[in-house]
Amino acid sequence: MRRILAVARKETRHILRDPRSLAVAIAMPLIMVVLYGYAIDMELKRLTVAFLDLDRTPASSELQMEITSSNFITPVQAIPNRSEIESGFRRGMFRAVVVIPEGYSEKLATSLESPVQILIDGADGSTAAVVDNYLNAAIARINRKLASEAFGVETLPIEARTRILFNPQLISAHFVVPGLVALVLVMICALLTSIAIARERETGTLEQMLTSPVAPAQVIVGKVLPYIVIGAIDAALILAVGRFVFDVPMNGSWFVLAGYTILYIIISLGLGLLISTFAKTQQVAMIAALMGTLLPTLILSGFLFATSSMPFMLRQISKLIPATYYLRIIRGLMLKGQLWFPFETVALVTLGTVILSVAIFRFKERLD
Amino acid sequence: MKTIITIVRKEFQQILRDKGMLRMIVAVPIIQLFIFAYAVTTDLKNVKLAYVDHDRTSESRQLVDAFFTSGYFTSVGMAENQTKLMSWLMEGKADITLNIPIGYAEGIVRGNVSDVGLIVDGQNSSLSGRGRGYAEAIIRTEAAKLMENKRLEHPELETKMHRIVPVTRYYYNPELESKKYMVPAIVVLLISIISGMLTGMAVVKEKEVGTLEQLMVTPITPMQFIAGKTIPFIFIAFFELAFASLIAIFFFKIPFEGSVLLMIAAAILYLQVTLGAGLLASTVSQIQQQAMFTVWFFLLFGILMSGFFYPVENMPKWIYMLTYLNPVRHFMEIMRGIFLKGVTFSDIIPQFALLFGLGTLIFGTAVIKFRKMND
Repeated sequence: MRRILAVARKETRHILRDPRSLAVAIAMPLIMVVLYGYAIDMELKRLTVAFLDLDRTPASSELQMEITSSNFITPVQAIPNRSEIESGFRRGMFRAVVVIPEGYSEKLATSLESPVQILIDGADGSTAAVVDNYLNAAIARINRKLASEAFGVETLPIEARTRILFNPQLISAHFVVPGLVALVLVMICALLTSIAIARERETGTLEQMLTSPVAPAQVIVGKVLPYIVIGAIDAALILAVGRFVFDVPMNGSWFVLAGYTILYIIISLGLGLLISTFAKTQQVAMIAALMGTLLPTLILSGFLFATSSMPFMLRQISKLIPATYYLRIIRGLMLKGQLWFPFETVALVTLGTVILSVAIFRFKERLD
Repeated sequence: MKTIITIVRKEFQQILRDKGMLRMIVAVPIIQLFIFAYAVTTDLKNVKLAYVDHDRTSESRQLVDAFFTSGYFTSVGMAENQTKLMSWLMEGKADITLNIPIGYAEGIVRGNVSDVGLIVDGQNSSLSGRGRGYAEAIIRTEAAKLMENKRLEHPELETKMHRIVPVTRYYYNPELESKKYMVPAIVVLLISIISGMLTGMAVVKEKEVGTLEQLMVTPITPMQFIAGKTIPFIFIAFFELAFASLIAIFFFKIPFEGSVLLMIAAAILYLQVTLGAGLLASTVSQIQQQAMFTVWFFLLFGILMSGFFYPVENMPKWIYMLTYLNPVRHFMEIMRGIFLKGVTFSDIIPQFALLFGLGTLIFGTAVIKFRKMND
């Protein structure tokens, strides 16, 4: 135990002496949480719409007013003719154009239906879908009003009563911030540890340490101990920022979260150890850690992108990433108040056992 | 001039000799392009829908069918009651649940309003918001159909009832595939990583092994050194750009509507930024790893605030204003515009001007710092 602590103290000194690695360990996660929390806002708050009013009657102006009275929809300068539509799209001046055709007001009085054209910049497909939804909802509202004037009924025959659970205001930060814990822990535990071990190997000090009376296991435990502490501090920092800056709720139990987080830290350390057994230099360790752990955690775990929309192969890969399960657990705990994760627990424990045993086996093998 | 060419040649030899470097230039971008193109998707697919149908009439079945034929939802089954639906939501088995109450069909026939319960798992705010939008749109469409029937039954109301019919058309990407929008942006990502990181690392490498000092005592001026160091990476970046664009066009079938010349011009302005950033990182780093981290750190900022994933307009006002200072944002807009919209120079003068200004600033600062460092 004393020896482990000695190694740990030595490693801590290493970290503290290099201000840049300390900055990476503490400042980077903090910056990330603020940046991700604010910058990744998936909700379209301002939808710029231009009107091309070919009718130019009081009725058509009224329609414009009705559409823009909806939240989010911000009118931009009206455009004079059709040729301006495309150039406006190309310049990004608006996301959609509502064309009110000539004779709109006349049709309103004489016929049953009056068509209105909605042209949407579809380049950003998912935003375009939202734009379509907003505009269609605005027009549906107008139709409902027209219908109520005719029938004297206020509503359509079917009404959706929608309730949103777990994140009722659909706040992006509530989704992103807990996910960051998973990302940062992999960064600290897998990336930094694998580099630290590779550095000792590179400079030859690992062998020196192993020839000393300190047992290999003690060296490893001593080396990773400071990173466990840093990882725990980072997780706490992120959660504190999430709670006090972004108001992320905690509907489950901090105690359960702490338990799973320790499990996840151990698995991430196992990954770092595993990588260090392959990597002879820091450079290789770094690239392998980036490619093998950080990137998959970033894009294939469901951190931001839903795995359900991915092709079959990538969905299978995502099942092998520990973060996939940890993300479900931390979000389940914080947002849903779920406390029971049988499947996720089994998956995490299995993955952890495999990763750790391979890592330890390979580490021992390389020492012999 | 001759000196510069000599350094360029030396640099090329060094790069081509290094197997790891070659792999980073050729293999890594391809892998990234493929994985990113498939994984970085904001499409809405396979939303898990569970429902409970208390009414069990042909009308209620029609509503359920409308959901599953829409293409966005996959069924996770019919539950016997609301409690079951809630527990499925809690366990993550369902993303959205639909509850059709008893009397649904009767209410419609009588002309009353029938409420339908939707419960949405709101965790992933973007998907939930859109899933909710689609679900409500389906219900609206159903309602509109029923209204239509009513209208046919009551011809006397006909003249009184008027409807505005929206006819929607999408420009540039009619199928609304997120891939089309993401792939040009991934190309930007690739050349940023390659040109920024490699330049930074290449300069620091000379520092690490001490050859930088040796070079500085030769008659080579710092400017010549910088030119000689960066020119190879300009070539590599352009190779990368061409290569990735070809994959984008021929493999991913991304349309290319704009002009190649405009793209090259924009890329030159952008390379000023990335090469400058690499150089700047090299002045503050002692070892390659630090250079790599420094570039990566700033690149991460740039990418996050570029509108790569979500539109910059969604961000809070103060962050949105900051994104004007982000060269990645401008180049990404230009590239997406060139690929999908066929933008011409006059459409993107603001982006070009900002890119030019920021590029000159960054590269200029890098040169000044580099010269100071070597005095």
